[in-house]
Order: sequence, then C-alpha cells, then structure tokens
Amino acid sequence: MGTTVAPEKILKELSDLWVDSGKQGQAEGGAGVLRACSMTLLVLAEAGEDTQDLGETIAALMPEHPARAILVRLSGAGDRSLAERVYSQCWMPFGQRRQICCEQVEITASDAALADLQSVVLPLTVADLPLIVWCRSLRLFAMPEFREFAQMAHKVVIDSASAPDAVALLERAHHEVERGIMLGDLSWTILTRWREMLAQVFENHQNAAHVARLAQIDVEWGGSRYVPALYLGAWIRDSLAAAGVNAKLQISRAADDEHLDVQLTGEGIAVKLAREDGRMVVTLNGASQCTNLPQPTDYMLMREELGIVRHDPVFERTLASAVQLAHPIQQ
Amino acid sequence: MPIENPFQDPLRFERRVPECAVVIFGANGDLTKRKLLPALYRLAYDRRLSAGFAVVGISRTPMSDEAFREKMLEAVKQFSEDTNFDENVWNAFAAGLYYVAGDIGDAALYRNLATRLEQIESERHTGGNVLFYLSTQPSQYARAAQGLGAAGVSKGKGWRRLVVEKPFGHDLESARELSDRLHESFDESEVYRIDHYLGKETVQNILAFRFGNGIFEPLWNRRYVNHVQITGAESIGVEGRGAYYQEAGALDDMIQNHLLQVMATIAMEPSATFRAPSVRDERSKLLRSIRPMTPEEVRVNTVPGQYGPASIGGKDVPGFRQEPGVDPQSQTNTYAAVTLFVENWRWAGVPFYIRTGKRLAKRVTEISIQYNEAPLHIFDQDGAESEPNLLIVRVQPEEGISLKFRSKRPGSGMMLRPVSMDFNYGSSFGERSPSAYETLLLDAIVGDATLYTRQDMVEASWSVVEPIQNYWRENPAEFPNYPAGSWGPAAADAMLARRGHVWRKP
Repeated sequence: MGTTVAPEKILKELSDLWVDSGKQGQAEGGAGVLRACSMTLLVLAEAGEDTQDLGETIAALMPEHPARAILVRLSGAGDRSLAERVYSQCWMPFGQRRQICCEQVEITASDAALADLQSVVLPLTVADLPLIVWCRSLRLFAMPEFREFAQMAHKVVIDSASAPDAVALLERAHHEVERGIMLGDLSWTILTRWREMLAQVFENHQNAAHVARLAQIDVEWGGSRYVPALYLGAWIRDSLAAAGVNAKLQISRAADDEHLDVQLTGEGIAVKLAREDGRMVVTLNGASQCTNLPQPTDYMLMREELGIVRHDPVFERTLASAVQLAHPIQQ
Repeated sequence: MPIENPFQDPLRFERRVPECAVVIFGANGDLTKRKLLPALYRLAYDRRLSAGFAVVGISRTPMSDEAFREKMLEAVKQFSEDTNFDENVWNAFAAGLYYVAGDIGDAALYRNLATRLEQIESERHTGGNVLFYLSTQPSQYARAAQGLGAAGVSKGKGWRRLVVEKPFGHDLESARELSDRLHESFDESEVYRIDHYLGKETVQNILAFRFGNGIFEPLWNRRYVNHVQITGAESIGVEGRGAYYQEAGALDDMIQNHLLQVMATIAMEPSATFRAPSVRDERSKLLRSIRPMTPEEVRVNTVPGQYGPASIGGKDVPGFRQEPGVDPQSQTNTYAAVTLFVENWRWAGVPFYIRTGKRLAKRVTEISIQYNEAPLHIFDQDGAESEPNLLIVRVQPEEGISLKFRSKRPGSGMMLRPVSMDFNYGSSFGERSPSAYETLLLDAIVGDATLYTRQDMVEASWSVVEPIQNYWRENPAEFPNYPAGSWGPAAADAMLARRGHVWRKP
C-alpha cells in the first residue's frame, strides 16, 4: 500500500478514463459515452464491509443521482497509509445507443492517515455541485476527524440503527444538527412510507374529525428497530401536540426480531400500522387494508436522502425529541 | 372549515390525495382497460390513493360488481406494462370497484348511480367527492352530463368534477355547443378536458426548462430564434381504427389539440405563478395570438397528405385507402403540415412549422428550435457548411433535451464540426416516470387543472384549425401523396423551402 495519494494524479486518471471510454464507445459502433454528474458522493466505509455489496448499491444509485463517487475504505489502526484506484461505472439505458458513465474513485486509508484525507478529497469534489457524505462507519462518525468531513459536506447521511450505542449516536447526531450540519438518518428515512400511510388515514374527513380524540400512542419494536421506534413515537406525539392534542406515548419492546408497529387509539378511533410480509397493513377501526411495502434497502433509502439536499425541519425536530425520549431524565 | 392533517410532511410525502369515487362512463371500453384502470391500479400500488377510494364503472352490459372486478383484473394484468402485479394490493384496490349497468340516455341510470354513490360513501368514506370520467363516444358527452345534472348527481356535499376526453367538438361551433351543454350541469372550473400529451413528463419539463432556468429565456424570442419545428410522427398506420380515423384525420386528431398545446407550452409567456389559472391564462393567450389564415395563406402554408402503399423493410404495407373500413376514395388527411405565426412581440415573424402523420419514417415527437446563424462566418476557410444552433426537446421515444453547437475539431487548423450536448431524461433520473394518465388522473383528483385544457383554449385552437379544415374540404388534394415509411409529401418540403428552411430528420 502506498503512503501518499496525489489528487492531481487522480484527476488526470479520471480525465484519461473519459478519453478511453469515449474511444471505446465509438470503436464499438456506439454513439460514445455521456458523462453525467449531479453531485459528489463521498462514502466512508470500513474496509471490512462487503465491497461488492456496497459497490452495487453505489452503482444502483447512479442512474438517478449521477455522481462522482469517492469511496473511502478505512483500514483501521496501523501505519499511516493511503492508496487509490480510479474506475468508471457505466450503463446503457434501455433502448438507447449511448452509454452513461459516472466516475468512481476508491481510496484506502488507515486511521493514521485520516488527517491527510480531507486534503485529498477536497480537490476531488466536483465544483459547483453538492457534496454528500454517506458515513457508513459509525466509528468514524464518533471520531474528531469526522468533523472535517462534516464541515465540507452539504449533507451528511448516517444510519443510527446499526450503532451499538444508539442513544449516544443520536446525541452526537443531534449535536451535529445543532452545529448547523445538514443531517439525514436512514433510520428516519425508513419511516417515510409509514408516516405517509398514517397521514393518508387522516386525509379522510371523518378520520380527521377524530384527531382531537386520540389519547394513546403505542409503538412496539424488536431487534434493531429501537431508533425507528423512538423517531416514530416522537414524531407522532409532536405532530399531535402541534395540533393541540396531548396523547400519551408508550414505547415497548416486542419479542419478535426486527418488529415495528404503531397503534393510535382514542374514543371512536383505533389505527394500527404494521408490516407483514413485504406489505404495510393499515387497520382502521378493525378494517384492514394493505399496500405494497418492500423491505427497504440501503439503495432505496439513499435514493430518497440524495433527493433532499436541504434542511429537513420535521426530522430535526423529531431528532431532538427522540434524544429526550431516550433520556427522559433530562426532560 | 377543513381540519388540518397534523401528520403531513410535504418535503418527503407525495401530494395529498383526497378520498373520492371515480365514476367511469364507458367502463367496458378500450381506454378504460388499457389506460385508466392500469393507471389507477399503479397509483394504488404506489400508495398514492387515499384509503377512501372507489371506482364505479358504467356501461350498458349487465354485470355484477364481481364480474366487473374480474374483467378489470384481466385488464390490469394485461396492460400494466411496468408494474408488478401484487395480489394483496389488487384485493384491497378491487374491494373499491363497483359497477352500474345502464344506458347513458336513460334517466334510471342516474338514479341508480345516485343510490350507489350514497351506499359507497357510507361504506368507503369517500367524503362525497366524485370524479366523473367520460370515456364514451364523444356524441354521448352532452347526454351524460345532462343526465348527471338532471338527477342531481353533478352537485353534492363534496366536490364534483367531470373529465372529458378529446375530441372537444369537430369545429368551433360544435365545440361551443358541447361546452354550453356541459355547463348546464357543471361549472367550467369543474370541467377537466384531458389532453394526455400535456401529462407527459417531458412536456411538463418544458415549463421547468424554460421557467426554472435563467439562461434560456433571454434567447427565447424572435431576435435569436429563426424558426421552430414541432413534429409528432407515428410509424404505424391506423391499426384497425380506419373507420374512426377517417372521420377525424391528422389535423383534427393531432394538431388541433396535442400539438397546438405543445406549441402553446413552448411559446407562452412566463406565468406569474405555477398555479392552474395563471399557467392556463398564458397558454390560452398564446393560442389566441396565433394568426388564423386566409384561404390564400392556407394554400401556401399548409399541406395535407395521405399515405399510399409501400414496401417497408421487405414488407408490403397498405395505403390508407386499402386499410379495412376505409372508403377507397377517402379524402381523409393522414398527414398534416402547417406553418403558423404568432402575433405578439416575442414571436412576430418567426415561423412555427408543425407536422404530424401516420406511417412516417419513425415514431418521434420533438420540438426543434433553430437559432439564427452567427452573424459572421470567420471559420469558413475550410469550406464547412454553416450549422445553425439547434435546441431539441425530445418528447418521445427518448425523452430529453439536446443542444447542438459547433466545436473545433482536434488538431491543427481551425476546422469546426457540429457536436451535441445531451440531457437524457431517462438516464439522468433513473426513476420510472408516471404514465400521462397517472399524472392527469391524480391531478384531477387533487383538483389541479394546470395540465388540462380550458374552453377558451379549445375555441382558440379551433379558430386556428377551422380555416384549414374549410379550405381542404373545398379544395381536395390529390391523394395518396406520400408513400408509407417516408417523411411525408414533397409539398411539405417545398413549404419550408420557400422560406429557406428544411425539415429536420429526427
């Protein structure tokens, strides 16, 4: 492994890559390649992560969010070392003659080289386009060096559900938001369809008329769903409070793994949302209706997050409430 | 006062969709099976419909609710091109499907419908909101609207809207008459005239391109634009619809509605807001600014066409007059090319060439804006031909926008060649685009009429088209005048050549 990485060399390699791709595309009788870019996506991952799986997720995101993807693999403790490779990710849209290509840069860095990493990444970001940092390494998120990346980024995306100490991570995330960092959490993103379904129930005038009678919110969670359960409970409670309705919130652990359901009850109304076999089942006063709700993948969640490069006030409020819920003593 | 939904999150959620019943007249017809039900099922699949949603199918054939559900299940399975069939989603959706049999001219149908809607309202909590969709023969539109009005169904405790498919009349007078009869039961604000071209993502993207960017609008006028070409070409023939098509023709079927609406979108003035009345006002103003032609202008500035037999790729293709159900002496235009001028300060003197036809060389819909050439040709030493800049908005099949400009060829010397800078809608946004019917149905349900045609637009379009209809009727052309598989009649090329222009070959 090398000990230095020169950004200018990487940029030259990227440039050569386009020349080669263009020649190749024309030699194959195609219409050349089309370069697409709407952002820089910096992915910070541990070296132990499944390279192929992560590569496929990044590749799947490219058609909708074409980006210069910079994948930083953290090799952990050891001597100061940095290494890089450059390649392109191409695809041929169905029924079309032209290949679409995005650039990918992979950098391997030891912890000792983290301090140098920012000076490598900064020149590699695409000018005038947002830099999104997807921090898959929660170890790095907790390190002081991460602050440098957060400062550069237009938005930072984490997944708090995978943290061993979820509460500490939520606190850290809340702290970053308070510092003005634009943050996304895939444990919140996972709830969009749930929240949307709940909102749809109350689009109906008759159901909306019962909002004021809602008195109890019960959220049950299992496995790694603690953070989503906190978010969901906090969001529902806050939404009702904003409408002048004070409902009691109960968050409890279920026996099943990876379980999540929520029930809202009040005089004349009972709404329950639960996932069953890839579908969302909404039960309103005993009558059930189901809609398609596939198991969310990193690709699906990131796809949504990359589409929102602005502060998300609902999430930021909910994050603050979730931190308080996790530490009721601080309230 | 409506109660605010405390759980809405506009940043993340799709648009709010109110509960309602959609009543489809002509539920046994092709449009319902091929487009409407698959679009509604897709909306249900995508969780875009509210829980209180129902569909009531109406046609003459006696049928139970269950039989109607079975029929629609087949249609959804057959015609949902890019949607997975999910049995549970279907079962939940199908529970809201109902059927009422009856004749559109029979008052009993509307009484039965009223009773059924009340029952559905109490079962499904549709909030009293009803969207009536006329997917019947155009001759039935007025009777259906009057029947709904007479039975008191056109008004209710929720909102009531009426969606009408084209054609909106067959000339100016009949369009006005239809409108008057619809207005006996529905206010103009409740009438949604659907033009599925306006529901296409790329046509909507024209508005985003023009009014969401600062760079293009200054170049969008007579000072810089030399001319505009709008092409709506189909490679197929009338595909068994010869009897219907011979009553319509390319001018009425495509130009009067779809392509004039596209032209209005391309040429309209910026709207003050992106609200329906404002956008529709601008579109309407543009249509009213198109100069109706005198007979002499029609002779020079329009070309009718009809395809004759040909061999395409070794396969013999019949001419229009040889198609089943078509009169062997038919004078129907299967091709129409027109030159229009907009009389306002922005576009005065800029020709808008519009052409459409069946059995043309390829299926393509695009708008091509040709800019004036550079005022001085300083690189002409190498004998290169001048190449004007082109901005091409591709509507189908490859949706996107291309800018063609000249660039220096690598190497010594100053030799230029044209290059194309492409934005490809499909590849830049890999997400599946909703079908035009999904977009427009949802718009009608949420009450957004931006992409629907208003009566004053219909009348303005007929005012442009009617003089052409009249001239062509009184001066029959020599048909057939273009072979199937070509780019249309030679006279259409000559029409452009008179102004020093040539049709683009997309």
